[in-house]
Amino acid sequence: MDIFLQILFDGLVIGAFYSLIALGYTMVYGIIKLLNFAHGDLYMIGAFVGFTLLSLVTGDGGLNTGLLGIGMVFIITMVIVGLLGMGVERLAYRPLLLAPRLSILITALGVSLTLENSSMLGWGASYKVYPISLPKNGFEIVGAQISYAQIGMIVLSALLMIGLRLFIDKTIYGKAMRAIALDQTASSLMGVNVYRIIALTFFIGAFLAAGAGIMSGVYYGTINFMMGFIIGLKAFTAAVLGGIGNITGAMLGGFVLGIVEAYGTFYLGGSWKDVLAFGILILFLVFKPTGILGAKEMERM
Amino acid sequence: MKPLLKLSDVNSYYGKIRALNDINLEINKGEIVTLLGSNGAGKSTTLKTISSIIRPKSGEIEWNGQSIVGLPPHKIVELGIIHVPEGRRIFGGLTVTENLELGAYVFRKNKKWVKEGIERSFDLFPRLKERSKQLAGTLSGGEQQMVAISRGLMGDPKLLMLDEPSMGLAPIIVQEIMKIIQEINKQGTTILLIEQNAKAALRLANRGYLIEIGNIIMSDTADVLREDDKIIKAYLGV
Repeated sequence: MDIFLQILFDGLVIGAFYSLIALGYTMVYGIIKLLNFAHGDLYMIGAFVGFTLLSLVTGDGGLNTGLLGIGMVFIITMVIVGLLGMGVERLAYRPLLLAPRLSILITALGVSLTLENSSMLGWGASYKVYPISLPKNGFEIVGAQISYAQIGMIVLSALLMIGLRLFIDKTIYGKAMRAIALDQTASSLMGVNVYRIIALTFFIGAFLAAGAGIMSGVYYGTINFMMGFIIGLKAFTAAVLGGIGNITGAMLGGFVLGIVEAYGTFYLGGSWKDVLAFGILILFLVFKPTGILGAKEMERM
Repeated sequence: MKPLLKLSDVNSYYGKIRALNDINLEINKGEIVTLLGSNGAGKSTTLKTISSIIRPKSGEIEWNGQSIVGLPPHKIVELGIIHVPEGRRIFGGLTVTENLELGAYVFRKNKKWVKEGIERSFDLFPRLKERSKQLAGTLSGGEQQMVAISRGLMGDPKLLMLDEPSMGLAPIIVQEIMKIIQEINKQGTTILLIEQNAKAALRLANRGYLIEIGNIIMSDTADVLREDDKIIKAYLGV
C-alpha cells in the first residue's frame, strides 16, 4: 500500500508535466490541425529561461530569494516563452496556413531543430544544475513519503489547468477559439480576427509548456537542451490518448500516461518506460484513434 | 442619393475559373434587394466577395462611397456588413447562447449590448430561449436557421446579407422566416437576399437582379421582374 501510493504521487507529478505540455499540442491541433512538433522544445526553452532568471535572483546559489521572487520568475518566464511561441507561429507557420499540411509539418520539425540548436549555442551542450532545489521535507501517509514540493507542483499544475478550462469555456476569446476549431470561415464572418486568436492559442500553449519546464527543472535538478524532444513525444502521446483536440482529454491523458509510466517503471524496470508509453500510443492509434474523450462529430445540414 | 453598397465591374475567380464577370450592383439604404439565379450562377460568390472571404481580381466595392476591397473579413463585419452564409454554418459544438455571443464578437467589450442582444433574439424567436443551453448542432434545421439569423443580427448589421435562408426548411417555417426578414427590414436594416424560392423573394424585395453564369443579365424592380416572361418560365415555375 505504501509503495503503491508513493508511486501514484510520483506518477501524478510527471503526469502534470505531460498534461501541461499536451494542452499546447492539443489546442494548436484543434485550431489549425497542426501537430506542432516544436512544442516540446518550448518546454525546454522554458526550463532554460527559468534557469537564467533564477540564477540572477538567487545570485551565487543562495536559497534566500523567497517565494515571491520565485513566483515572479515563473510568471516572467512563462510570458517570455509564450511570446516566443507566438513569434514561431508568426514567422514559421502563418505563411503556410493555406499550404498543404505536409509543408507545415516539416516546418515544425525544422523549428524544433532550430530551437534545440539555438539553445545549445546559447546555454551550452552540457547539463545545467538548477539554481534552486526543493526542500525534501514532507509528510507520511500510510507509509508513503510525500513531499510538500510534489503536492505544490500538482496543485500549481491543477490551478493552471482549471484556469485554462475557465478561459476556454467562459471568455469570449475562448469561445472564439472553439468556434475557429469548428469553422474558421464562419468565425471570420462573426468579426473574429482569426489570426489573432490563433496567435493567442500559441501563446497559451507555450505559456503552459514553460511552466512545466521550470517545474521539471526544479523537480529533477538538471536540464539539457535535448530534454524537450522525448517529453514532446510523450505529451503528443498523452494528447492522442485523451483525444487530440480535446482540452480535458489532454489533461486526463497526461495524468494517465504519467501514472502508467510510474507503475511500469517500478514493476517492469526503467528501461520499459518508453516502450510502455509508445506502446500505448500505437494501441490507441490502431484501436481507438479518437482517444478516451475523442470528439464525436456533430453537425447537421 | 449615394448607394449604401456599390459593386463596379467586379471580377472574382476560383483558381482559374472566373465566377463573377464584371458585376455591377447597387443597394440603397432601407431596401430589400434580391439576387435571383440558378445554382452555380454566382450568387453566393457575390456575397463572399462582398464579405471579403474571396478577394475580387478586379473591380471596386464601395461602402458609403469608401472602397472596402482588400479589407480582411473581420473589418467588413465591423463596418456593419454581415453575411449569414449558405448552409447556416452555425457552430454545432457550441450552445445557442454561445453562438449568439460570437455574433456580437465586435461588441465583446460591451456586456450590456451582448446581454440585450440575446434577449432581443429570444423575443424574435421564442423557441431559441428554451434551447439556449443546448448545443446548436442538436437543433432542427429551422431552429438552426433562427440561430444563424439572430447571430447575424447580434453584430448590429446595417446591411444583412442572407444566403438561402429557406434552404431545406418546411414551407410553414419558410413563411415564418420571410416574415421575420421583413420585420428586420422595417426596423431599418438593409437586406441583400439570395433565395431559391424566387416567388417568396420577389414578394419581399423592392428590387432584384438576375444573375446567370457570373453575369448580371437583368435588373429591375420586383414588380417588373415578377411579370417578366423569362423569370416566370425559369424561376417562378408556372
